[in-house]
Amino acid sequence: MKNLNFLFAGLFLTLALPFGGLLLSSQIQLGSLSRAPAEEGGPLFPAREPGLAIQGRAVYRELGCVACHTQQVRPAGQGSDIARGWGSRPSVARDYVLQPQVLLGERRLGPDLANFGARAKSDDDIHTLLRDPHSAGYSLQKPDFAYLYVLSADGKKAQPTERAVALVAYLKSLRQDYASPEAKLKQ
Amino acid sequence: MSQDPNHRRSPGRSPGNQSRPPRGEAQLRGPFLLCFGSAILWLLLASVLGLIASLKLQVPSFLNSECLTFGHVVAAQKNIFIYGWASNALFAVNLWLLSQLGRFELRNGWLATLGGLVWNAALAYGVVQIFAGNMNGFNLLEMPREVGPVLMVAFLLVGFWPIVAFARRPTGHSFASQWFVVGASFVFPIVYALTQLLVLWCPAAGPVQALAHSWFIQNLMLLWLGASGLAAVYYFIPKVLGRPLHGYYLATVAFWTYFLFAGATTPSSLLGSPIPVWVQSVGVVASIMMVIPIIITAINFHGTLFHRGGWAQAWNSTTLRFVAFGAVSFTLAGLLNTVFSTRGFNATVRFTEFAQGQEQLLTYAFLTMVIFGAAYFILPRLTGALWPSAKLIHLHFWTTSLAVIGSVAVSLVHGYQAGHQLLNPAVTMAQVGSSSLALAGSVFAVLFLIGHLAFALNAFSMIFSSSAPADSEAQSD
Repeated sequence: MKNLNFLFAGLFLTLALPFGGLLLSSQIQLGSLSRAPAEEGGPLFPAREPGLAIQGRAVYRELGCVACHTQQVRPAGQGSDIARGWGSRPSVARDYVLQPQVLLGERRLGPDLANFGARAKSDDDIHTLLRDPHSAGYSLQKPDFAYLYVLSADGKKAQPTERAVALVAYLKSLRQDYASPEAKLKQ
Repeated sequence: MSQDPNHRRSPGRSPGNQSRPPRGEAQLRGPFLLCFGSAILWLLLASVLGLIASLKLQVPSFLNSECLTFGHVVAAQKNIFIYGWASNALFAVNLWLLSQLGRFELRNGWLATLGGLVWNAALAYGVVQIFAGNMNGFNLLEMPREVGPVLMVAFLLVGFWPIVAFARRPTGHSFASQWFVVGASFVFPIVYALTQLLVLWCPAAGPVQALAHSWFIQNLMLLWLGASGLAAVYYFIPKVLGRPLHGYYLATVAFWTYFLFAGATTPSSLLGSPIPVWVQSVGVVASIMMVIPIIITAINFHGTLFHRGGWAQAWNSTTLRFVAFGAVSFTLAGLLNTVFSTRGFNATVRFTEFAQGQEQLLTYAFLTMVIFGAAYFILPRLTGALWPSAKLIHLHFWTTSLAVIGSVAVSLVHGYQAGHQLLNPAVTMAQVGSSSLALAGSVFAVLFLIGHLAFALNAFSMIFSSSAPADSEAQSD
């Protein structure tokens, strides 16, 4: 260990092995993935997000929602995500090919959102969930996003701002309820 | 281990400067105090934000605004803690360690000072941007991407000196602390640059971004923070006890296995995620192999402390009390990480508070306590002053140690229980959410803040009361 070059060579090797073996090989394996139909001739999935949802994704990121919510459904046997109704199949790499920044998340203080769009009811319900979650019967731990709403001219009703509308569009676009070549839907 | 034949000291004993005056400490003083002083200020800010985050978990409407969302507060707190407190403090401690071990006299210290200033300015800008909502969705990479290159340049200016010190050491022999610091200082900038590229500048395909991010987190935690902390433990235990490390000949194996397997543990934090299954399996195997350096470091540290009343000596030394606390925490963190990287346990605790407990065990119970111990040793030598208040030292130790023990224990126990209950799909997330957990988190956050205030008060009183570097051995104990 007297020789600095020997030390650097060894350190470089310890760095290069996981980088090449895990990251680059994963990039080679998954880098060419693109949208695909579940069956020959069928529509391509994942579907492209509408423009409003793309704006909503930025709002989701800016508010730091990823601190409490994940967007990944684990396979059966690794947690109860599917049994809980958060998805009808595990998430696969192809589900994320259109996302410029993949927000898988690391902590669940709230439910997983990978399939929020598939289980959401209406825009009004989602707005209520964001503006006043406690009145909507949600966990007391969920903060409200009342600052995304303004009072109407008569001062009686809360109106969503453009950002709230975009956020709702994004949440509704979160769906992994299609079959993909790697993961069939649970029957 | 390689030993200079001209040096007859026993293997495993910190070379140190027992018989020579602290040459070169005058040159170290400026950059050291800049980095360590700013680290303490960042630590206080992180403590306040930690308290706000805990209160928000308890009462979500607390300070509820778009600027202070829970996501913003948590992201800012983590970035400040890791880049503001831990990294700044490690710049200072690593530089001091390597200059002591390599008899290095820092010339052109203004470069290190400039690097420290740029680092702190970039971090301050990044934190403001997080609160403004201009943030990324990746843990500890939340700051806007333009901050990354600036931090890189700043790191090269302030964090690269230990490597220069190692290259220019006048004697041929080297010590374990030097390898760990050189390794940490070499690996971190490369990993940071590659991750910035793969995640923020030229994003990799789909979930490979998550893999690249996870690789960064593992390297940041284990190879930058962890290896730097280990270097300090390897230095201070034999130095303060005045005897060689037990089983020091194994340290080479610990070093190489630690660096070899740490990076490969990456996928073990992504079990069940949409990445290739074979990659996940490699991560599990690497996490199990990490038990080798964990056991060896345990033999080195605890073996030394168990001999000839080492624990009693450690208890009576301020420095070693903190460092021994950190050494025990490192072993626990390593073993927990190995056990809970296996698929069964991981499926239970993933996404729960358990992960927060594991992270706190490593970054606070191990690293931060070791940095505190190092500060109690180094600052009197650099400032030529004694610690002003023994009571504040006691208050600092007891509040921080009780807070971290309580906080980690609550996170681990509650995380495991919640994860176990959530395996049953009939149990909802609201049912496992515990208000008593949030309350405990707030109490521990207050304790942390009190401890950090005591430390800051003591440290700044000493720094401002001194004007020249020490010309004799000042004692902190």
